[in-house]
Amino acid sequence: MNATDMAVISVKNLSKRYGRIIAASDVTFDIPKGSIFGLLGTNGAGKTTTFKCMLGLARADSGMVLLGGAPLRPKTFEELSYVPETSALYDWMTGRDHLEFTRRAFRRYAAGRARELLELFGLDPMRKAGKLSKGQQSALALTMAFSIRPRMLVLDEPSSGLDPLHQRHVLDLMIDAAAGGATVLFSSHQIGQVERAADHVAILHQGKIVVQGEVDQLKASEKIVEATFDPHVPALDGLDADPNVRRVMRNGRMIRAFVRGNADEVARRINVASPTSIRVLDQNLEDIFVAAVGAQASSAAGREV
Amino acid sequence: MPAILTVDPRSGVPIYHQIVEQVKRSVALGVLEPGEQLPTVKQLATDLTVNPNTVARAYRDLERDRVIDTAPGRGSFVRDTGTAGRAKQTLTDVTGAALNEAVREAKSIGLDRNEVSDIFSGILDRWYSTSPGAEARKQQ
Repeated sequence: MNATDMAVISVKNLSKRYGRIIAASDVTFDIPKGSIFGLLGTNGAGKTTTFKCMLGLARADSGMVLLGGAPLRPKTFEELSYVPETSALYDWMTGRDHLEFTRRAFRRYAAGRARELLELFGLDPMRKAGKLSKGQQSALALTMAFSIRPRMLVLDEPSSGLDPLHQRHVLDLMIDAAAGGATVLFSSHQIGQVERAADHVAILHQGKIVVQGEVDQLKASEKIVEATFDPHVPALDGLDADPNVRRVMRNGRMIRAFVRGNADEVARRINVASPTSIRVLDQNLEDIFVAAVGAQASSAAGREV
Repeated sequence: MPAILTVDPRSGVPIYHQIVEQVKRSVALGVLEPGEQLPTVKQLATDLTVNPNTVARAYRDLERDRVIDTAPGRGSFVRDTGTAGRAKQTLTDVTGAALNEAVREAKSIGLDRNEVSDIFSGILDRWYSTSPGAEARKQQ
């Protein structure tokens, strides 16, 4: 059985343009059952567009989406919770009204669960949504989302506006849902959250997926070879063309090569040029993100070295 | 048991690796005893706020390395025989790798064998105060 057979959420070659702007280009990923999949990207990278196209809230120009193993259909939404990036609450309705709304719409609604969640987030169910802070509005939307014990969750920036304690609660809820067999897809700016909760990650940049895989595997397979030379870094022919080398940063006497796969081989090649020092460093997700996403971000980081 | 485990998600070391190594360390040191039950995957995932699949993977690796046994429906337990020895062997390998890395670094910045040896002796003296080596050097 391959990954696609196991996938609960499957997105294939999804593309979407808004006029001349390519919001999503050939986006493809599979999310296995019980996984937490983190979608990372800078602002405008295409995260929200991807979610909207997946859920039929925007029409994709091309591509295919399978949710729960089937194309989008009304039944899909009985066990799927979506929390959009911006509040979709009704200002004049109280928290309790919203939950009543949820109860009527979803057979899977669990009143006891909803009460626990209100308490967890410290929400007053009698307050109108319009009177809640941004963070409280997010918490109410999450309370609705988790109260139906969803089998699939799509959360767009679920912790934006929440304080650190409530952010941790959101991660706990996602982990709890996944441990119970639910499949979670979420986007975040906060790499630390993705690093903690997600087992799979994709990095979107300018509408394209530039990196994807298992978080632990990416960390294990992406290394930095850092070397210093005296008086300056030699040409090192062919290093940039090496398919395993994602990127090379040269900075005066120092060179850093971001390597996928066998870093020893790259280290050996650099070592032949007699550096004054050479070492192989592990990469965390932030390093991988910066290496993948960008010229601007990386040249700024390069100057700091 | 969770109190003895902590993970650093920001580290470049995969989280499952951190869990495997810490459980082995606890077993080698006797903090976790043979027959002792480990938390369930779900429990440990919640306690550490890490992905359940990551914990499950760590447990699979610990089973493969014969440090724990998992009985379906009953939970995971530290194995009875020879487990501490096997766990210690792994930690010895980890130590060897760390020393290898340090020496490679030392060589790359141009230290010669005697300089490295002196540094190493100094460190040994700090942690093994009554070692025969330290006595011998004092007599020189």
